[in-house]
Amino acid sequence: MITLQHVTKTFKNGTTALDDVSVEIDKGEFVFIVGASGSGKSTFIRLLLKEEEATKGDIYVAGKHLAKLTTWKVPHLRRNIGTVFQDFKLLQDKNVFENVSFALEVIGKPKHVIDQRVPEILEYVGLSDKLNNFPDELSGGEQQRVSIARACVNRPLVLLADEPTGNLDPSTSVDIMRLLDKVNRIGTTVVMATHDQAIVDAMRRRVIELDRGAVVRDQARGVYS
Amino acid sequence: MARFESLFRETTSGLRRNGLVAFAAISTTFVALLLFGLALLVSRQVSLMIEATTGNVEVAVYLTDPVNPDTVETLTTKLTDLPVVANVEYETKEEACARFKELFANQKALVDNVDCDALPASLRVKLDDPENYEQVAAVLDGQPGVNRIVDQSRFLDRLFAITGVFRVGVLMVSIVMLVSSAVLIANTVRMGLFARRKEIGIMKLVGATNWRIRFPFIIEGLVESLIGAAAAILFLFGMKVYFINPLYGEIEFVPWVTNGDVIVIIPWLVAAGAIVAVLASLVGMRRFLDV
Repeated sequence: MITLQHVTKTFKNGTTALDDVSVEIDKGEFVFIVGASGSGKSTFIRLLLKEEEATKGDIYVAGKHLAKLTTWKVPHLRRNIGTVFQDFKLLQDKNVFENVSFALEVIGKPKHVIDQRVPEILEYVGLSDKLNNFPDELSGGEQQRVSIARACVNRPLVLLADEPTGNLDPSTSVDIMRLLDKVNRIGTTVVMATHDQAIVDAMRRRVIELDRGAVVRDQARGVYS
Repeated sequence: MARFESLFRETTSGLRRNGLVAFAAISTTFVALLLFGLALLVSRQVSLMIEATTGNVEVAVYLTDPVNPDTVETLTTKLTDLPVVANVEYETKEEACARFKELFANQKALVDNVDCDALPASLRVKLDDPENYEQVAAVLDGQPGVNRIVDQSRFLDRLFAITGVFRVGVLMVSIVMLVSSAVLIANTVRMGLFARRKEIGIMKLVGATNWRIRFPFIIEGLVESLIGAAAAILFLFGMKVYFINPLYGEIEFVPWVTNGDVIVIIPWLVAAGAIVAVLASLVGMRRFLDV
């Protein structure tokens, strides 16, 4: 599903964010990317979305060779990838339903599809009773559920989560992890960048550890360190 | 349908949010297109007046009544033999009458009261260089059948000089105004982008195409400029009705621009406004929307 071959990313200012990274992630896997701040976790995620281009090496996501993907095809790549962030990135002037339906509207999905899928996914994440609430009326955990619903409503092949529990307390984090696990169990490949040790240790999934841009550990059923 | 609804919502909310700047963009577009339309109408008026007074010919050779076909032929040959003459056309009395009637179609009283018999037949001469009028006059002077030779180029030169300054002036001001309206439209678009940068970030993330993201902003710029264009067109009609219509009866022998002339320039104004708006919107979005 995701393949990186000898990927190096050097920014214009000379910093190397990723250094000769080779990783293979299969369909349906759940992978943690761990490492200290600045170890290259976020760059890893941004490369998969083609928000950044690799300086060297090849990246394949969902069967597409990213270096060869033209600008106008990038949106179609992203329709196969759901993304979740630490800061939720919800629109404050839209309610829960609209925040999720927005993701389908802007890729031109017809109304009947929207009316069917949005309530479905909101029920899936456990927010059926909050459709008309606005983000500022929700707890952090609920907001993250909305953003996961938005990421999953188009049924992506891959879910990328960049520190999804970074703003949440431990018990809420556990709830969010349960939800991500649930999403993974229906076949979605989940890649989660985190430095939340407790969560990684509790989940016992594959762990890829980055240190100053290099893969220093790639362990099935691993722990944080 | 959902896509149109959401596009429409984005456009209207954009216009509302930037109310004041949108108003500035609309009003400069209005003034710019008003001046542009004015310049077009003045051009039209000038060419009508030229047509009326000279028939678009530099030298008119009026022939004495009744016209002898042999005289026409002799004179035409003499003229065409001159190297300075570009073109000679014979206009019969009937043709002169028809042209007169067409020219003053909106002044019925005038057409009804002029006896077509009073309009003379003529040879209408175009010169390579209007300065060579003297040569034509020399050849024709004293020839039988020639009533009067009129050099219209001097009159034309003067008319062109006066109206040319006016036309170019108005056109230049309107171009300057169009540029500033483009800058203002680009600015509203940019403010809209800034206000919605979070929304746009999400759109990119979930895989909206660049055109889907740009479209509402282009439409926003287009709507602003088309409102300005509509106002300019209404204003031009108003000016025509209040300033030109009263002249129809007052100043005779001068054809004035008609409603039809105003209608003809509408597509030009709309096109100018639309092109400026789309370019301005695209410029306003440049670099903001890199993937």
